[in-house]
Amino acid sequence: MSEAPKRVAFIAHCLLNQNSKVEGGALRPGMWEPVIDLLRERGYTIRQMPCPELAFGGARRFWGVREQFDTPLYRQHCRRLAKLVAAVIGQHAAAGDDLVLLGVDTSPTMGVEFTCSSPTWAGKPDIGDEDDSTLVPGDGIFIEELKTELAERGLPEPRATGIRHWFVDYDPDEELQRIGALLR
Amino acid sequence: MSDARSRRVAVVADSLLEPFLDELNREGFGIIQLPPTDLDPETASAWLEQTAEHVAEFRRNEYEVVLVDDGAHSEQLERALTALGVAPLPQYAIQPPSTSRLTPDT
Repeated sequence: MSEAPKRVAFIAHCLLNQNSKVEGGALRPGMWEPVIDLLRERGYTIRQMPCPELAFGGARRFWGVREQFDTPLYRQHCRRLAKLVAAVIGQHAAAGDDLVLLGVDTSPTMGVEFTCSSPTWAGKPDIGDEDDSTLVPGDGIFIEELKTELAERGLPEPRATGIRHWFVDYDPDEELQRIGALLR
Repeated sequence: MSDARSRRVAVVADSLLEPFLDELNREGFGIIQLPPTDLDPETASAWLEQTAEHVAEFRRNEYEVVLVDDGAHSEQLERALTALGVAPLPQYAIQPPSTSRLTPDT
């Protein structure tokens, strides 16, 4: 790592690569520009995290809620990727860099402050009008595993928030203010 | 179902991310970032392994995947792709500057 402390943003994979979203989830062709532009304006070095869902369920995976993903095998997969991210965080932390993390606050995997939940989602993927999924406070599976990995390594958790572009009442200005306040 | 994805992915060397970001975005590419060169070898190797897994999945689903490379991890990336049965990625063709400004006013 270079000697001068840097500002480093660990970002959910899909913020640079909308192709990794679950089908129906990509709002832009390539990247989520509002956040990328803000990070560049503020001089942050970007570190893209892997997409656990793409690597596990594939590009044609179905939508899912946290309860569906919360299996021992998926947690093992997330922990494997979390070890990689934690190792990178560790090198930046050792260099005294300022670290933030941007997840996705609707994701069962990458949620930071909110994740999606349903007591009933299962079986044939045609939930339709009976959709009872809700956003609940809490981490997604990967973020939870990353926090555990960081704690085991004695590393600090980066300041973190999540992108909320799939919230029903999504407010782009609120989002930029919230992320802007997180960045230094 | 409405979905804006381009099905175009560029695997980009860390050193070339900032210089190529605007151009790749204009071209509609999503980006997979390659590891920075100052990572320790074990971590860089793990990063390249998961990059190859992502690429393999995109190629399996017939997404266009190109490489914007500085040579820092070329051999290791190719080995990781080969291990998953993925052919070497074509190099991204740098787009020529727009000539629109040369069009005379009418």
